[in-house]
Amino acid sequence: MIHLLNITKKFDSKTVALKDVSLHIEPGEFVSIVGQSGSGKTTIARIIIAEIKPNNGKVVIGGWDITNIKSGQIPQLRRQIGVVFQDFKLLSKKTVFENVAFALQVSGVSKSRINKIVPQVLKIVDLGDKVDRYPQQLSGGEKQRVAIARSLIHRPKILLADEPTGNLDAINSKEIIDLLLKINEFGTTVVLVTHDKEVVNSLKKRVVTIDEGVITQDQKVGKYVI
Amino acid sequence: MILVTINRSIYFAFQSFWRNIWLSLATIFIISLTFMSINFLVIINAISDSAIDAVKERVDVSIYFKQDVRESKIAEIKSHLETIPQVKEIIYISPDANLDEFRERRKDDSVIQEVLNELEGNPLGATLIVRAKELNNYPEILEAIDNPAYADLIEKKGYDDHQKAIANINTITDNVKKGAMVVTIMFIIIAVLIVFNTVRIAIFTHRKEVGIMKLVGATNGFIRSPFILENVFSGAIACGIAIGVIYFILSMIQPHLANFFAGVEFDLIAYFNSNFILIFGSQLVGIILLNIISSSLAIGKYLKV
Repeated sequence: MIHLLNITKKFDSKTVALKDVSLHIEPGEFVSIVGQSGSGKTTIARIIIAEIKPNNGKVVIGGWDITNIKSGQIPQLRRQIGVVFQDFKLLSKKTVFENVAFALQVSGVSKSRINKIVPQVLKIVDLGDKVDRYPQQLSGGEKQRVAIARSLIHRPKILLADEPTGNLDAINSKEIIDLLLKINEFGTTVVLVTHDKEVVNSLKKRVVTIDEGVITQDQKVGKYVI
Repeated sequence: MILVTINRSIYFAFQSFWRNIWLSLATIFIISLTFMSINFLVIINAISDSAIDAVKERVDVSIYFKQDVRESKIAEIKSHLETIPQVKEIIYISPDANLDEFRERRKDDSVIQEVLNELEGNPLGATLIVRAKELNNYPEILEAIDNPAYADLIEKKGYDDHQKAIANINTITDNVKKGAMVVTIMFIIIAVLIVFNTVRIAIFTHRKEVGIMKLVGATNGFIRSPFILENVFSGAIACGIAIGVIYFILSMIQPHLANFFAGVEFDLIAYFNSNFILIFGSQLVGIILLNIISSSLAIGKYLKV
């Protein structure tokens, strides 16, 4: 599903974020990419969504070589990858429904279809009764669930979560991780980028450890070992 | 899907227009001023061109023939002059018509009237009035009239060239045009900066939205189009306001112009009506292009996500 082959990414001559990194993620896997701040894990996430391009190596997503993807093709890629961030990236002047619907509106989906799909997805994340709330009226966990609902709206094959529990307390973090596991059970490949030790240890899933731009460990059922 | 996308872009554009109404009004005001100054230049051009044409119409060469020259001979000369390509028209005025016109012109001069009454017959000869196609054609026409064969037939020639008047009009209108041009260029520069910065501010305030749109798979075109459309609305409204104001000003000055150009057909409103599409269409297209370029440049910065 995701193949990174000998990826090197330099931001300038002195800052090498990734050094000859190779990573293969199969369809339906749940993979945690862990490492300290500045280790290069977010760089991997940014390369997967084509926010940045590698200096060397090859990136293949779902059989599509996106190494030198054209800017006009990026929207098509991003509709196939759901993305969730630590800071939720919700629009404060839009309701829960509108925030989720927004992802469909920009893709040219009809209003009737939006009205049909959005409530279904909000029900999956257990926010069916809060469709008219604004982000500031929600808890951190609920905000993140809205973000997850939005990321799922295109029925992506990959869900990339970059520090999704970074702004949440333990209870909300567990809710979000449970939701990601549930999404993974439906067949979606989940890539969790995190430095939350407890979360990673509780998952008992594959763990890829990255340190100073190099993959130091790749365990089938791993633990946070830094 | 394309229709849905277009509708949604228009909806987002209207939404942004109303949510930033003061910014929108400021943009409309500046663009209106630009349109008005450009149209002021158009008015100056139309008036000066008409003034020059009116003066040009009065330039001619009058050939006064001796009293005893036969009409057939004059007709022969007229036919010859008509073969000169630079000649626009030749008007023949008979001795009787000349006398009538002279009597009419000097009707208040009792001495002249008495002398004319005492004279037996008509003391005036016939006249040919020659008009050239262009002002600079007159020297060639005068040269043709200076033919030695005609010397004994012609009493005198009159050439009132009005060149000085035309030169004065040209100088005045050139200066006014230069002034109007400077004002127009200033307004265009201000409008470019305002439109450019309006779009930048709008996009800056929406940068989070732009980033999220990119992340959820919006195309650059979809992100750009509401911002561009919003400014196209402003341009269209400003154009409409400018048209209203210009026509109001035209209706106010038209009676004065009619007096000024007495005897010459000059209708500024009719001029604007007949050139409406050219004048306002080109300005509207210009402002739309300006919007598209400035919007594209301003938003490019935030699209690299």
